[in-house]
Parts: sequence; C-alpha cells; structure tokens
Amino acid sequence: MDVVVLVKQVPDTESLIQIEGDGVSIKTDDIKWVMNPYDELAVEAALQIKEAKGGTVTILSLGPEKTVETIRTALAMGADKGVHIFDPAADGSDALSKGKLLAAALKTLPFDLVIAGMRAVDEDNYQVGSAVAELLDIPQISQVTKVAVEDQTIKCHRVIEGGTVVVEATLPALFTTQRGLNEPRYASLPGIMKAKKKPIDTLSLADLGIDPETVGPAGRKVKVAVLNFPPDRKTVKMVDGGNPGEMAAKLVKILHEDVKAI
Amino acid sequence: MNDAREELPFDILFIGGGPANLAGAIHLMNLAGEKGIELEVGLIEKGDEIGSHALSGAILDPIALEELIPDYLAKGCPIEEPECRDEFYFLTRNRYFNVPFTPRYMHNEGCCVISLSKFTRWLAEMAESLGVNIFPGFSGTGVIYSSDNHRITGVATGDKGIDKNSHKKSTFEPGVDLTAKITVFGEGSRGSLIQEVDRKMGIFSDKMPQVFETAIKEVIELPDSNHFLSSDTTVMHTFGYPLGLHTKGGGFLYKMAKNRISLGLVVGLEYENPLMEPYRAFIQLKQHPLIAKIIEGGKVLQQGAKTLPAGGYYTMPSLAVDGALFVGDSASMLNTQRLKGIHTAMKSGMLAAETIIPALEEDDLTRRTLGKYESKVKQSWIHREHYAARNFSQALSKKGLLKFVHLGVQYFTQGKGVNDPLPIEADHTTLKEMGDEKATEVSVPMANDFDGELYVDKLTGVYLSGTQHVEDQPCHLIVQDMDLCSTRCYHEYRNPCTRFCPAQVYEMVEESPGVRRLKLNPANCLHCKTCEIKDPYNNITWTCPEGGGGPKYSIT
Ligand SMILES: Cc1cc2nc3c(=O)[nH]c(=O)nc-3n(C[C@H](O)[C@H](O)[C@H](O)COP(=O)(O)OP(=O)(O)OC[C@H]3O[C@@H](n4cnc5c(N)ncnc54)[C@H](O)[C@@H]3O)c2cc1C
Repeated sequence: MDVVVLVKQVPDTESLIQIEGDGVSIKTDDIKWVMNPYDELAVEAALQIKEAKGGTVTILSLGPEKTVETIRTALAMGADKGVHIFDPAADGSDALSKGKLLAAALKTLPFDLVIAGMRAVDEDNYQVGSAVAELLDIPQISQVTKVAVEDQTIKCHRVIEGGTVVVEATLPALFTTQRGLNEPRYASLPGIMKAKKKPIDTLSLADLGIDPETVGPAGRKVKVAVLNFPPDRKTVKMVDGGNPGEMAAKLVKILHEDVKAI
Repeated sequence: MNDAREELPFDILFIGGGPANLAGAIHLMNLAGEKGIELEVGLIEKGDEIGSHALSGAILDPIALEELIPDYLAKGCPIEEPECRDEFYFLTRNRYFNVPFTPRYMHNEGCCVISLSKFTRWLAEMAESLGVNIFPGFSGTGVIYSSDNHRITGVATGDKGIDKNSHKKSTFEPGVDLTAKITVFGEGSRGSLIQEVDRKMGIFSDKMPQVFETAIKEVIELPDSNHFLSSDTTVMHTFGYPLGLHTKGGGFLYKMAKNRISLGLVVGLEYENPLMEPYRAFIQLKQHPLIAKIIEGGKVLQQGAKTLPAGGYYTMPSLAVDGALFVGDSASMLNTQRLKGIHTAMKSGMLAAETIIPALEEDDLTRRTLGKYESKVKQSWIHREHYAARNFSQALSKKGLLKFVHLGVQYFTQGKGVNDPLPIEADHTTLKEMGDEKATEVSVPMANDFDGELYVDKLTGVYLSGTQHVEDQPCHLIVQDMDLCSTRCYHEYRNPCTRFCPAQVYEMVEESPGVRRLKLNPANCLHCKTCEIKDPYNNITWTCPEGGGGPKYSIT
C-alpha cells in the first residue's frame, strides 16, 4: 500500500505571535516552526498502515525552503521519502490554489491512499484536504478518529453530534485526521540519523506544469482583510482566606470597589 | 516501536547546545577539516530546539567569536545593538544615583548586545553546515563508563513516552546509548550529568563549593514614542535596591533591536532571609522610578529565569578525565566580575577542540592528553580574567559595607585582596531560621502589582516563557523527604521553595487547618535549577524531564 501524507509546517502556537504592520500577516522572525499537529496524526496513521500492510509512505509538503525541516521530521518518524513543492511564486496561495498544487504533485506519485490533517492550525481553513480529493476525483472522508484499511477499501470512524458514524470508500481515497485518531510517535535519534540520508525531491511550478498567474497572490479568490488578536484575557484573581462567608464578603467588596460591577 | 536501547557511536559527543559546545563543535570541525580528519560529531540539547533553553543578558565580548568566525557579521550573526554605552546606578527605594566612576571590569566598550537564544540558533546553523549532527529534544540522563569505571565512554539519552507511574505508554521510545571516544560536557549552570561525574570521579573535590545566582529576565517591547529608545544609553546596570547591600546581585537593562529591551535582576543565592522572593524583587526593580519610567507603556514579550555559576576561579573543577572534558558554565568558566560567561564558554569549548585533535592523532584518550586542555585554559585569557577576579564573588557575598572594603583592596592588588583565597559558603547553608513572629509576612499578596501586560505574575510569566512539558510523565523533581516540607521546613524557613522558585512549581497547600502538603507543578519548570541549589536541606534533586520539554525561548 502506497500512502502519501500531506504535511504543513506551521508556527508553534506557543511561540511569540505578533501581527505585522500590514495588519494581514504575522511577524515571522521570532517564530518557531513545527509540523501541524493534525499532520502528525496523519504521519502516524500512515506509518501504522505501512507496518501492517507494507508499502511506502511519502511526505508531500508545500512551502518555503525551511519546510524541509518538517519533512525531515516526518522522515525521522519513519516515512520513506519526501516531496517538497518549493517555488516562491506559490507563496501566498489560498486554500484552493494549495489544493491545486498538491493535487498536481500527487498526479506524479503512485498512491493508494492520501492522508491529511483536517485543518492546519495556522490558517484554520479546513479546505485543503477536500480540495485535493475533489481535484483528484477520489472519495474523501473527513475528521477521522479511527481507520481500518483493507486491500481495496477503507473504513473510517467519524465523530458526529451524539455518536459516531462509520464510512466506507474504495481506494484510492483521501481522509483527514481528527484528534483521538492515534498518539503520534517520537522521532527517535537513530531515526533522525537515518532521515538525513532519505531522499527529498523538490518540485517547482514549472515541474508541475502550473501557470504562476493561477496560484500565489494573483490566483487568490479570497483575501485576508484583517487579523485581530482575541480580547486580552485578564489575570485571574483568587479570593482566598477565611470561611465561605468571609470569602463571599471579600468577593462582593472586589466586585463593588475594584471591578465596579455592582 | 522497538523496546531495546540502541547504541549510536560517534567520534566526539557534545552534551548541551549552549555557546560553549557549539563553539567547540564548530572549531573542532574546522580543525579536523584543515588536517583532513573525518569525524562523526554529535551534539544533544534537551530543549526542543537550539536556543529554546538559552537565556542570558546578553552583552557579548566578541573576543572568542572573532577568533572562531572572523567574518561573523558577513555570515549573518544576529546582533541586537552593536554598541555598548554604559550607565551604572545605585538605587535606594525611591531614588537613584548615577555612579560616575565605574570599575574597569564594568566597562563594555567593544562589546555588543545579543539575544543568546538567537545567537545559539545561528551558531547551530554554522555547526550544521560543517557537518555536526545536532539533536535537539534529547536529554542526557546518564553517564556511560567503561567497565572498569575509569573512563567516560558516552551518555545515555532519556526514554520518551513513560507515564506518571513509570509505565510505558503506546508512544514509548527507548533512549539511546550515545558512545564516543571523547565526550564534552557543556550543560551550563548546575549540570546534572557533571554532578554525576563528580560523585564518581570527584572532579569538584578540593574545590570551594559551587555558588550560584538566579536571574529573572524579560524582553519588553516599548512603544515607538518611548524616550529611552531615542536616548544614547544602551546598557544600564544597577545595584542597591531592591536587594540592598547584604545580597549580591543587581539589575541590568540592555537595548535590543526592534524597540525591545532586555531587563533582568540577578540575585545571589547566598541570601539569608528565608522570606526573600527573587521574583518579587524583580517586580520591585521594575517598579522603581528609574526603571518604571523607562519601561512605561511597554509590554512583556517573553520572560524566563536561569541560574549562573558565580564562584569563578577557586570553584573550577578538574577539567578533564579519561574520555571527557568539561566546558563553559558547567565548569565554572563564567566571569562574575564582568557578568559574562559567553565569551569564556566559547573559548573553553574551542580550547577543548584544540585538545581533542592531537589526542585523536596520538590515539590516547586519557587524562594524559586531555589534561592539556587544563594547561591551555591556564595559558589563555580565560585564566587571566578569572585570576584577577578570584576573590570577587566572595567579597560580594560579604554583608553591607564590608564588601566594599574587600572589593577596594582587591581592586588595587590585582584580585589578591585581604585574604586569598577568601572562603565561601555553599548557598544551601546560608538561610537563617526564622522566628515565628515573622510568620505573617509570608503571604503578602502582590496581585495589585500586576496588569497582565507590563507587570505580570509568575504564572503569566511561565506562559510567556512558552514552557510546556508532556504532562503525563514521571515527576522530574525528586523531593526525597516530603514530610520534612510540612514539618521542619515549614517551621524553620516557611517553605522557601514556594518563593525562590520563579515559576510556582512548589506550592504548600493547607488541606485542613494546620495540615500542609507540598504540591508540585513540574510542568511549570523553567529548568533554572534554583531549587536544587538553594533548598536548605538538600532535599530536592533536579533531573532532566522528557527531552523537548521546558521553555521555548526565542528572543531572550
Ligand atoms: C540572566 C543572565 C544574564 C547573563 N548575562 C550575560 C552577559 O551579558 N554576557 C555574557 O557573556 N554572559 C552572560 N550570562 C552568562 C552566559 O549566559 C553563560 O555563561 C553562557 O550561556 C554559558 O554557556 P554554556 O554553553 O556553558 O551553557 P548554557 O548556555 O547554559 O547552555 C547549556 C545547554 O545545555 C543544555 N543541557 C543541559 N543539560 C543537558 C543535558 N543533560 N542533556 C541535554 N542538554 C542539556 C541546556 O538546555 C542548555 O541549552 C548571563 C546569564 C544569565 C542567566
């Protein structure tokens, strides 16, 4: 079974996120970049399928030069090879263009199954996996929490309001991962050493036969108008000391005098 | 997933990704390249990335960097502020005095301001481009010895995927035995493996006890309109308030790029008052009129804490044993007098590299060849700096005005001073027992001091350090005797761990009136190791948590 995993490099949500002067992008210099956590689930799922069924796991990623680090991480976890779509003209693509680029690359690769994260924690579009499946004209199952692969079919569990639903499709197919699917493994030290020697192919727009005018900023169908932080979370104040009565009295005093709520 | 430990052999192995080891690894690759020697070199770092656990001032004396990478500017070395224009202040509670005469060792001409986190990330890029295998996210948790126990043959990395109760989780990944001809330990302040080596090989015996300082620091972003940004000053140091003259240490404020400043307070851990709270002292420094005015309108971007080894010359361990060398802060290379350890750390790593090459050529990995590292350090400027400052830390630990007598005499006798060596006490012995009458002072709330932007409480600080640990893992802080905390320690010192820890890892909870229990929040740990150093009963042992855990500093 040949599995291709779509992997994205995203800012670590613990890093220092600041909005750029243009108001529509974030400052990137002090950011730590990691593998999208949902894609870690996808890599783990692919490796488990390979362990059970044999075959190969290929990592496909679209992004700037440093994306290679994330591809290497997936290779260190145990994937076999990487494919990196790297072309400055693709920077700033919207979700549909990203889908186009990934689908074009997938057409050059042998696969029975494609796995993607259900969302990337940076832009949170929930679109790329679906776009890729649509453009490849293969079945897609989203937000999967459990998966079983047979020779010709795939059976996936999805959580729905109040229960689960089991969905089947014939291969080749694409599914996207939801939390709970598995616990991604660590990249081991020997794994990291081995990953240094695994191949990563780089593809440009020309290699994919894609016109630069149809992707990147020029090809965007949607534009970010403005980015905002959530309202500041105020520090929690604990009311402590004394019996419940005294604590209630203190609370009333705070609400009245400090917060001026009552 | 395979449960057996693998062995991964290297020629040379570096433990810790600080400036000492990174400079050492770069220099080693350069020297090996010149001689046409092929080396497999590995470096492990417990932080999830190089730089994640790097927190410093930092004023860089570029002397070692110039030797290591002469074209460092062309190679994109990240510099925050190229020029150091110093000011030195004595603070009282509400006032400040510009000290016109600063001792020569406080001058910083020719130095620049850096973020150690960024600087080490850049050094790591240099090292990787030379072929060094860098493994962030892996902690060294045990030293490997030859069967006769005389020689160090490598370091074991910790298992990953172990739960609270020490059971293997589904993600269990066994650690690896990293073996090497020579292992270089550069674990920074209070290294955990170097202490293990000491217990076996006695490298710190016959030395004065190691002494430390704890520093809390922030990177603050100032608004464009801020007057300090347009002022000429780039470097400020303060002493006096809030520590007074009984505790060594002081404040620093350095200008960085992009409207940022680095602000910190260094507190000598020889302090005596069990009610002392370094974090609180840091807030007091920020609230002092001199500093408050400078940081007005600012916002804390990152916060963190780390210890510094302050002992210097007389506390340096034996620097080489069979199969291993010790560099940087781990080996007490920091020069307290100049509050600088990056340049000495780098130089020590480079001297280690210069020792390793001939040792490999002679195929003698014992102290006979590796010991030459000690003489190289003796002949270098590291020794000259340290020898002149050999009694400095001890003098600073003297109470009140007496310290100035010692410092004054030392200043005019090239460091010899009144007594040479001036003795020093280990930090865990200096707390004075408190009388019960002071008990009420303990729980002074600070809540009103915080606005969540410029003045943040400890937990917000932990959040701003990016600290994360896998929650379900064995506690990495080992408290040998928990009963001691609720009994003797409560009565004698009112649980100083709840105050000296800058990250609220230690809390005493009162389960019912008079019944107290120590509660640990190890996931908050900033890896500063103050607890292991200052606990008056030596009741706490700090061990490396699962690799990749801890702060995620990026601009400190
Ligand atoms: C607040 C503060 C201000 C300072 N200001 C200045 C200044 O202005 N100028 C100056 O020159 N110096 C300054 N210093 C000192 C300077 O930062 C240190 O001397 C220097 O960083 C020491 O380098 P090192 O490589 O020896 O150790 P470190 O920089 O501490 O690096 C050691 C690394 O090893 C890792 N490590 C430790 N144990 C293990 C293990 N078992 N397994 C894997 N990894 C491990 C740690 O995570 C860390 O990244 C300051 C220090 C502090 C705390």
